[in-house]
Amino acid sequence: MGARVLFVCGCIAALAVTSAGARPVVTPGVSADEIQLGSSVPLSGEAAIAGNVARGIEAYFKYVNDKGGVFGRKIAYTYLDDGYDPGRAVNNTIRLVQQEQVLAVFSSLGTSNNLAVRKLLNDAKVPQLYVSSGATTFGRDYKKYPWTIGYIPPYSEEGELYARYVVKNVKKPKIAVLYQNDDYGRDLLGGLKRGLGSNAKSLVASVGYDPTSADVQPQVTQLKASKANVLMIFAFGKFSLQAFNAVSRLAWKPQIFVNDVSSASALMAIVPQNAAKGSISIVFGKDPAAPLWRNDKGIKLFQSILKKYGSSINARDLKDGYFTAGMATAYTMVDTLKRAGRNPTRQSVMNAASHLNEKGNPFVLPGIVLHTTPSSRFPLTQVRLQRWSNNAWHPFGKLISAKP
Amino acid sequence: MFLYAFTWTEFAQQVAAGIREGAIYAGLALAIVIIYRFTRVINFAQGEMATFTTFIAWSLMNHGLSFWTAFPLVLAIAFAGGVAIERVVIRPVENAPVLTIVIITLGLALLLNGLMSVIWGGANRQFDGPFSTRTIDVGSVPVSVQDIGIVAVSVALVVLLALFFRFTKLGLALRAAAVNPESSRLVGIRVGWMLALGWGIAAVLGAVAGMMIAPVVFLDPNMMQTILLYAFAAAVLGGLESPIGAVVGGILLGVTITLLGRYVGFIGSTLKLPAALVLILVLLLARPGGLFGRVAVRRV
Amino acid sequence: MRARLWLELAGFAVLTAIVAGLPRYVSDFRARELAIVGMYFIALLGLSILTGYSGQISLGHGAFMAIGGYTTAVLSIDGVYGHQIRDLWTIPIAGVIAGMAGLLVGVPALRLSGLYLALITFGIAVSFPQLPKKFDHFLGGTTGKILNLAEPPFGLRTTTNNWIYYLTWGIALVLLLAAWLLVRGKAGRALKAIRDSEVAAASSGINLATYKTLAFGISAFYAGVAGSLYAIANAYVNPDVFPIILSVYLVVGLAVGGLDSLVGLIAGAGLIYFLQNHADTVARWINHLPALNLDPKQPGIPSMIFGAVLIVVMLLLPTGAGGLLRRVFGPLTSRLYTRS
Repeated sequence: MGARVLFVCGCIAALAVTSAGARPVVTPGVSADEIQLGSSVPLSGEAAIAGNVARGIEAYFKYVNDKGGVFGRKIAYTYLDDGYDPGRAVNNTIRLVQQEQVLAVFSSLGTSNNLAVRKLLNDAKVPQLYVSSGATTFGRDYKKYPWTIGYIPPYSEEGELYARYVVKNVKKPKIAVLYQNDDYGRDLLGGLKRGLGSNAKSLVASVGYDPTSADVQPQVTQLKASKANVLMIFAFGKFSLQAFNAVSRLAWKPQIFVNDVSSASALMAIVPQNAAKGSISIVFGKDPAAPLWRNDKGIKLFQSILKKYGSSINARDLKDGYFTAGMATAYTMVDTLKRAGRNPTRQSVMNAASHLNEKGNPFVLPGIVLHTTPSSRFPLTQVRLQRWSNNAWHPFGKLISAKP
Repeated sequence: MFLYAFTWTEFAQQVAAGIREGAIYAGLALAIVIIYRFTRVINFAQGEMATFTTFIAWSLMNHGLSFWTAFPLVLAIAFAGGVAIERVVIRPVENAPVLTIVIITLGLALLLNGLMSVIWGGANRQFDGPFSTRTIDVGSVPVSVQDIGIVAVSVALVVLLALFFRFTKLGLALRAAAVNPESSRLVGIRVGWMLALGWGIAAVLGAVAGMMIAPVVFLDPNMMQTILLYAFAAAVLGGLESPIGAVVGGILLGVTITLLGRYVGFIGSTLKLPAALVLILVLLLARPGGLFGRVAVRRV
Repeated sequence: MRARLWLELAGFAVLTAIVAGLPRYVSDFRARELAIVGMYFIALLGLSILTGYSGQISLGHGAFMAIGGYTTAVLSIDGVYGHQIRDLWTIPIAGVIAGMAGLLVGVPALRLSGLYLALITFGIAVSFPQLPKKFDHFLGGTTGKILNLAEPPFGLRTTTNNWIYYLTWGIALVLLLAAWLLVRGKAGRALKAIRDSEVAAASSGINLATYKTLAFGISAFYAGVAGSLYAIANAYVNPDVFPIILSVYLVVGLAVGGLDSLVGLIAGAGLIYFLQNHADTVARWINHLPALNLDPKQPGIPSMIFGAVLIVVMLLLPTGAGGLLRRVFGPLTSRLYTRS
């Protein structure tokens, strides 16, 4: 016990020294030849499929290690299963920090799971990087939580973009919204309302569904009765599929907007096309299942890395967007480590993450620049709109900003 | 919350949605009831067994078989699978406390769920059912042929089951083995195999339910997890032992919670589950055997 | 009987010594893991009083843990009339409130038998997480409530993990002793009589309703204490922290431990923690079998491992670890009985 207390004191002292800018004595997670990173993701339970993000990250780091690593150090990456349960995410995170001694916790998945550990990571001054959740709070509340930074465009901004598009392009819009009744859905809905501004009256109906529902047809039926001509689907996974299904069965023909999280090509391709056709969404990452990117260099790189470095990979994984999303984040992480200097510390990594200026990430849309400053902590804020036709998404218009 | 003018058209549509949803619960509830009736076990793996067989159907159809060619094949596979499960993991512990068997079915549910993720991946799949998704107007309410089909199938299953138990020798033997295993043995019924048969039949019912449901809610390894919860509720409502009870209970539950969720603002979509629980509890307190169940008379 | 009493007391002393000494030999994080095992153990003790002794099956004890956890969260963050209560003192309150909820459930439970009760309590497990979502101003909705990190009180110089470990296991030992006294006493004999035959128990003058309801209340009290500790250890509650599957895992722990074997439950508690959090270790063991090469990082594999281990454990030990203990020590103690 005594030895352990001494060790903890030693770590704190080391941290104090490094943040004062002196030559690092001990930085947790950094040794002569290795950098430790970790995340907590679901590999079991209902959200298990999303755990593929971490497997994509793992493959990319192996690829980077094979090419010599970062300043000669290999990245050792530990990801632990939390079954999408915040309690287990807390336990995993404590394990990563105390036992695996990671330099930073990175790309853990889920809004609540990240909320649950934000305070304890900030208290321990451990970077919580590139949170896999679009909840606005992770980028916005940096004053209270300086060791936390988000990654993807915030959901609220996404809602606002749709509102602006509708106001500009739809004549006499009457908007109906189907949203998941939790922070995630309400974030999107809130953004939409803000975007409508003085046109608030055009929002004629909004109905939440609970994730314990078996089917959202009752909600869609209710929305149809509002006689709206625009339908926003702010849903998750199978619920957005069911919503398209219900729209088709009810013989309803609104202009549909579907949020990014539920707009994967693989999903859109299996819903009734009479409902799906003409739907609009936003896009910022490359979808490996989309015909548009079939010959894209980035996607080819993605597939070759996954085949060579991924573990237990099969054919369907090569078209799984979760893997690509993971690699996009991993690319940014490597970029961050390079920026953090030859002898990275937790402080220098956090500095690097809040001074990003990354061009040419091969796994996101061409032209996107990931840019952060200490007071603007939303790395990925450029998106394009896309429209679904002929069984594929077709981006249109220029890159637009989703920066809060 | 928005308040809309009440319209009879929407009300009718909500009722239709509720009936369809209820029929979905009923399909799985039937399977639960059959296993409970013949083996006194609550099978927590019923949902995953159904999903698993639906995935097999999906694979067969992906290899070019039509729905109606795949259908009997899948039912046969389901039956064999159900019998095999009973023989391999339930039989050895049939005299253990009931909790032990419940835990084994839980283990089975986890095992099958993981296995499906590994074999077929976690993504949602499209499953083309036997019915067209075309809508027809009933009165002024558009109803899809698929919805009508789902309701018709669950009613047909109950009728078939009733005929089977009443008029076939095998059905009679099954009932006898469940009611009085000792005497059944004496008259030459192989009670052990009857239990396995019960599992086989339940697996077949689950497979049918899965193939009806998949076109509506899309196929993925977790397809049945929420539905299983409602199916339990439907089975309890109907009295746990009665196939008719399962279907009536399912449809009653579907319509009630759909209407409550839609028209009682306080309940909304969030309190649907607690509302269903309270309703069932109230019913059980009034009728401890559910709608169609019998209460065993206690004798000293 | 005397010999058995001494044996059990000696066992308790050994257990106390192990609990007190263990943190010296394991890492700081391991102490935290053992603390969580202790929390499961406390909840299982309660469940054992209910199921093992009064014969009522509950698949909804996760909900009572949640009530305990939320009580601690609300009292220690929002407090009462603005006075925040130190997390430590919320633990008994959490237990009492969960216990009262248990009594409330216990009354209608009297009218339900066997698997009906199991399914209704399962309904409670399913329904409960909806309440914090509905009453989100008070209970935090899906955002949840963030607690202050647990710190050793009274200026104790130890790590947070060690503090949580000693706190949990200290409470666990007290509650084990209480449970032991309860089941050895008049109440325990009454409960066992009810479990074995309600009709016979009633005819020998035992008040069924009182004892069965009381068993529910006590059992929920235990779960509430466990939930409170869990909230303190994680410094966070939201509906997903107490998922439906938690209630299921508790029953798994009970069956693995042996329904009425108070000490066997430690094995049950250990197993449910281990299978959730160390699937990779189990995969390494399983991969020693021929022709198997499981990748524990592939989605789905952890569930498969959990399920397969459960099935095998239940097939090998249909009456749980407690049943095994009895088979090993049974002959020994019965010999002692005959001699005394």
